[in-house]
Amino acid sequence: MSESALSRRALFRLERAARPGGWRGWALSLLVVALLLVLLEGGYRWLESRSQAPLFRVIVAGESLTLDDETHADFSRDLTALTAEIQAQLAARMTPWMDARLDSAFEPLAAAVPGYLDWYFSAPGSYMRLGVAMVGDLDEWLDEQLHERLIAPSGIEDALAELLADYPERLAREQRALADGLAATLHERYALRQVASATSEEVEMTAMLDLDAVLLSSLNDGLDRSRWSAAALGGAGVGLMASRTLVGRLGAGAAVQASRMALRGLVVRLGAGTARSLASGGVAAMATSPTGPGALVVGTLTGAATLAAIAGGEYALLKSQESRHRPAMEEQMHEALAETRASLGLALEASAADAARAIKDRLGHAGAPDETAGGTPEAFRILGRQGEKSAGFLPPSNTVGLQSAHVNRNP
Amino acid sequence: MTSGPAHRHWPVPLWHLAVPVLALMLWSLAGSALAGWLFLPVWVLATQMIAAGSLEAARLRRRAWLGQYLRDDSPWHRRLRGGAVMVVRHQLLAALLALVLLVKLRLLPPVTWLLLLAGAVGLVLVRGWLRRRLAPHVVEARLMAITRRLLVVPVAGPLALALVGMVLLSPQPWLIGLDWEAALMRHLPSGEGGSLLGFFERLAAAADITRAWAMQNAEAQLGFGAPQILLGWLLMLLTQGAVAWAFVRLLVGADALRGEEVS
Repeated sequence: MSESALSRRALFRLERAARPGGWRGWALSLLVVALLLVLLEGGYRWLESRSQAPLFRVIVAGESLTLDDETHADFSRDLTALTAEIQAQLAARMTPWMDARLDSAFEPLAAAVPGYLDWYFSAPGSYMRLGVAMVGDLDEWLDEQLHERLIAPSGIEDALAELLADYPERLAREQRALADGLAATLHERYALRQVASATSEEVEMTAMLDLDAVLLSSLNDGLDRSRWSAAALGGAGVGLMASRTLVGRLGAGAAVQASRMALRGLVVRLGAGTARSLASGGVAAMATSPTGPGALVVGTLTGAATLAAIAGGEYALLKSQESRHRPAMEEQMHEALAETRASLGLALEASAADAARAIKDRLGHAGAPDETAGGTPEAFRILGRQGEKSAGFLPPSNTVGLQSAHVNRNP
Repeated sequence: MTSGPAHRHWPVPLWHLAVPVLALMLWSLAGSALAGWLFLPVWVLATQMIAAGSLEAARLRRRAWLGQYLRDDSPWHRRLRGGAVMVVRHQLLAALLALVLLVKLRLLPPVTWLLLLAGAVGLVLVRGWLRRRLAPHVVEARLMAITRRLLVVPVAGPLALALVGMVLLSPQPWLIGLDWEAALMRHLPSGEGGSLLGFFERLAAAADITRAWAMQNAEAQLGFGAPQILLGWLLMLLTQGAVAWAFVRLLVGADALRGEEVS
């Protein structure tokens, strides 16, 4: 009886406590929540103790390492950090070599510029220009002269072709050295941090990353890329292309153009003058003696004298042109050489950076298995995704042909 | 309940709604360490509010039911009006619902809070309108409770639809062609620390990823037309409705709690 009264009182108290509002309601909520929390926490701990931490297997520097969860996370972080430096390191290794090669290729050319200008402003040179300006296409002829007298003797075509042939090999060598260094660094850091006792069946269940294979494939990838880049630059015929560019650049300076324009103006005046004097010579001859060979001789002599007088005057003009134009022309030719050299250097550096990026991309995705190389968009949209798909499929690229070739290789 | 003019004209100061909403917002936007520390108090707060609302509704239902069958002077009115069992049941359910709400709030992007705040404002407006409409018909003593009961669906429905619309428009990770394990491995944030809240968050995120994975791959492989696909997504996303429903229940509960205190 008393027990039932007690239980009834307890029930009543609980009932009162149960009313919302007031501290009792809060206390009850706290009780319920704390109870749930304890239960769930217990379940969670139990679950945690039941599930064993996953093991990761990494093949690096020819050795298979078994790492636990945390060490693998460290490994991934290190890998990311090291790959982030690859581009700078590759550039640091390639740039001095490339600079030296470019210097040695361009030096003879720069040294030959004064000789070329000597010829350009010499008497034979000036008269030949004058002659060509009168009868032929001056621009084309001057380009030819540039090529024959400046570019061909300097041997820059061969030097550049050689450089571009050597470049991919050198790049591949440096890449391999870098990749080996990377693998060695990682191996050195993590060989001692392996999980000591891992049974074979545990390891079989774990995710595996074959870093060696990834590095190898990315190296091949990078090599192909640099080959493609070299092909885009001109490949075997690059010396020729470079020399054509050079001729264009060398002929394009303002002083050069000004000297050409002066020459052309001279030719126009000269042409009119010669025609007039030749005609007047002929007319004079006709007037003095309408018939006989003497008439022809007189006429020719008059014409020749006129020509000589004019040419003498124009030679003085040419000499003054030389003193006016030569310093600027020389400077501009040197500038054009430096520009060509810089743009070649940039193109080569870009191809090295491209190769480094290929490695970085591969390694960046190495942590995640089943990655299809390139091509997967980052985000999925349920509504309004038409515009995004086309933009998302092709990664941004500087050379479209190069990129599509690369994509086709990895279907 | 007193029927003074000050009380007639809700909205009286709305701090009893604003404070819990603000607390929830700050908590859900806080860093994971802080949120882990404050998990228990926030959970208790949410539980108490949801429980207050649902208890009020349950008592109302019970009273109506008893009124159908019992004489007015029967002592069974008092005995059956809802005691410990009912309270504990509702507290338990409220605690679970609050857990779902809190974990979901942690995962939703911060923009969602614009919608939720708009929902809270909408709730206040609809409450005033509904109360004015009900006043001529409903017994004075039950006016607030009835208003609150009728409030849940018209506010939670549009809020749920708005949340679903937001999910439809926001980007998801690309999961087509991936294995389920690979999708989880790639997109599930790795567990940092062993906190219970973090575990729940990962659990909910895994559920989200699984849902998105199933629908994306079904869409890619089965080749349905656009209407079926949209329908499928809507069905999948109706779970978003749980958040809206729990959120509105919480606000209504806060209101009920305030009403009890005043009475």
